[in-house]
Amino acid sequence: MSARHDSILNHARSRWLWISLTLSLAAIVAYALHSPSVPPNGGTWLGYTLGSIAGLLIIWLMLFGLRKRSYSGSSSLRGWLSAHIYLGTTLILLALLHAGFQAGWNLHTFFLLLMLLVIFSGFFGVYCYLRYPTLMTRNRDSTTRNAMLEEIGELDQNALALADGIDPKVHGVVLRSIQNTRLGGGVLTQLRAHDDSDAALTGIRAALEAREKTSQAASGAKSGQTIFAMVDFLASGTNDRQAEALRKLIDLLSRKKALASKVARDIQYQALMEIWLYFHVPLSFATVAALIAHVVSVFFYW
Amino acid sequence: MRWLIRRVIKQGKGAVSYEEDVHFGDVLSIGRAADQAIFLSDIRAALNHARVTSLGPGRYKVESLILSGIRVNGELTYETDVAAGAVLEIASNRITLLDPPRDFEAAVEIGALDKAEQEAVKAKRAKPTSLKQTWLGKRLPSWILFVAVLLFGLLLPAASHFLPALGKALHHSPLPSTAAWNPGPLDAAHRFFGDDCKQCHATPFLTVRDTACTTCHTRMAAHADPARFNLPQLGEARCASCHQDHLGLAGMVNTQESLCSTCHTDLKTRTANASQLDDATDFGRHHPQFRVRLPAWQADGGFAPQLTRLSEGLKENSGLKFDHALHLKPELNSPKGRRNLQCSTCHQPDAGGLAMKPVDFESMCHDCHTLGFDTFAPDRQVPHAKVAEVVYMLDDYYAKRALEGGYTEASAPGFVQQRRRPGEAALSQQETVEALSWARNKSRQVADSLFTGRACVTCHAVSRDAAAANTPGSGWKIAPVRVAGIWYGEARFTHAKHSTMQCKDCHNAEASASATDLLIPGIDNCRQCHAGESGGSKVASTCIACHRYHQSTSLQLKQL
Repeated sequence: MSARHDSILNHARSRWLWISLTLSLAAIVAYALHSPSVPPNGGTWLGYTLGSIAGLLIIWLMLFGLRKRSYSGSSSLRGWLSAHIYLGTTLILLALLHAGFQAGWNLHTFFLLLMLLVIFSGFFGVYCYLRYPTLMTRNRDSTTRNAMLEEIGELDQNALALADGIDPKVHGVVLRSIQNTRLGGGVLTQLRAHDDSDAALTGIRAALEAREKTSQAASGAKSGQTIFAMVDFLASGTNDRQAEALRKLIDLLSRKKALASKVARDIQYQALMEIWLYFHVPLSFATVAALIAHVVSVFFYW
Repeated sequence: MRWLIRRVIKQGKGAVSYEEDVHFGDVLSIGRAADQAIFLSDIRAALNHARVTSLGPGRYKVESLILSGIRVNGELTYETDVAAGAVLEIASNRITLLDPPRDFEAAVEIGALDKAEQEAVKAKRAKPTSLKQTWLGKRLPSWILFVAVLLFGLLLPAASHFLPALGKALHHSPLPSTAAWNPGPLDAAHRFFGDDCKQCHATPFLTVRDTACTTCHTRMAAHADPARFNLPQLGEARCASCHQDHLGLAGMVNTQESLCSTCHTDLKTRTANASQLDDATDFGRHHPQFRVRLPAWQADGGFAPQLTRLSEGLKENSGLKFDHALHLKPELNSPKGRRNLQCSTCHQPDAGGLAMKPVDFESMCHDCHTLGFDTFAPDRQVPHAKVAEVVYMLDDYYAKRALEGGYTEASAPGFVQQRRRPGEAALSQQETVEALSWARNKSRQVADSLFTGRACVTCHAVSRDAAAANTPGSGWKIAPVRVAGIWYGEARFTHAKHSTMQCKDCHNAEASASATDLLIPGIDNCRQCHAGESGGSKVASTCIACHRYHQSTSLQLKQL
């Protein structure tokens, strides 16, 4: 047996892929053989048949939301999701054949568009589910978000202690850096992986290296900018012990910065994995409403 | 200036004690340095962290001395003026600015945050780290969208069906009305009332009734008498069974074969012999030989064609004698020289293109077939008219000749042969009687010879009443004639649609020497080009290519 990973797409030897392909093929063959005297539409026997199948399929697809919340199902949730994806995709074909590829400026085409929006947002979800868990695991590097957060806290404490031994000015800078490190935030912040930790750190290091090379104080540095303040301080002939501590501090802050970026990325991946559902789910309910409206209106004016 | 500095010291189990201190100075410094008025030991406090200046009783100015700012009443700030009651948070300390008690100009209270409080503050400041903690939600948008779609997609249009005023209002607004339910463009003829769905869809959840159609289509013929032919049991035949709208210009007339063939099988038994029609399900494969309307006449002369199944050697009786083969020979000898006759010389389509115009003697035959009757007057001809007209004309002609004189035929009396000069005396009464008597005999003889030998019988069947057989010039009858007409009574054949064909492709006239040859082709001839619904390479011709569904001549749909 191959040790192939059982994913949502190839669950149970791609059982649902084959079922969906069979269903699609059957629908296509029926559509090709069916030759109504009028242009193909939802009102022929095949139209009613495909429409009924598609309608029931929509209701079944909606039940996934219930299945997801219940932990007592006999079949695996992964199997359900696999079926949800493949049969949901088949729905595009069934709906188009049901309509005989007709479209117009009416409720029925609106229903079709809504349904397509739901399905395509689902496609994005599939993409996310296949891509981000791996990236997330790789990003976390066998630790957890809480562990990272705790480590950041510890680093903050250590950095403060170290900074205190150097100079109050440096202490202030570190304090500000801690305060500015805010992980998470609004929807856009989460999606953009933006952490507010002191982005100047890399700048400090670069400036420090540059200073060491030239060992020449640049009078142009503006005192208001903390990076330069720190580097100025370093360059202005302090003793070796302090310089050593300052370098150590920069290492600490760099480590912290890396961790904060990881946490921010972790939050981003999680947000990306979830964001599409905020479209998929409400739109799917709109689709159900449109399904009801479609069916009732069609028979209202039979 | 005197400051009261009160430290709150927690002693476990909720017990609290206070330690009061006095500070002199305008400014209260806060920090971790040893020289600060308020000394904080927390590493998160800077050496010189902040400065509080009293601006008067109960009013303070708070300044941050570090870049990260200071949190006053939960808000980060660098410098702010506050009233008593403001709370400064520095590291794990809470510093409350108070109204100064008596003997003091300013007062602060310093307390440490315990672990639970620190956690709460931390949690309060923490930003959301998952979308669930943000304003985004699924439940509310789901409900909103669900209700909105149902409202605008279903409920509002449905309400406009029941409330015409609402429907009218919706129609003039961008909101969806029942028009939003229209699944496709209407047939062109129905568009003028297409805004009003109720014109056809009168009752919700019921299919369109036939009465909706016959409201306008008042004169539409029925198919057959439903009572006589047991139609309801043969199958559903609503208008909409064949006529589906909302399919644009293509859908209105259903041409499918099965619409007819499902009923037109075994009709004889299924209608209890009411219908004698043969089965027909597909023109190419299963369709009886045609029946043609053979010309026939009732005793009183009324035209009564006989519907007869085409068969090998079937003869027709057009009432004429005619040799097609002879007339179609090239270089035909005619009084005006050599002529080549075409089919169209005699057979001209009528204006509708459906059938041919009747053959016309004067314009088509007369050039060659003259109707002369008297060698002494070769230019005179009898009219191509009724027997009586011909006889009258002859009577008149010979009477005139007899009275004028100069008719030199040997059988005529002398005074008839004699040419009368001007001024000569008129015939006597006796002579007049004799002359007229001769003229009458002469005209009747000529008539007899015209009807029996010379002219009429060339083309017509002439008979004579037995009773009048001995009376010269009377009792002659010309058989009625029908050459062009509607031959296929139950189908609509039109020459107009076959104008690309040649006549001889269907009518074998060149080989026909007798007018009794039936030149109307049968089904095999049509099947050379036409087949049924799945025609392959042939012209796919379903039933209504030739037949009409609404064919009853006596019954209208509205009467059913």
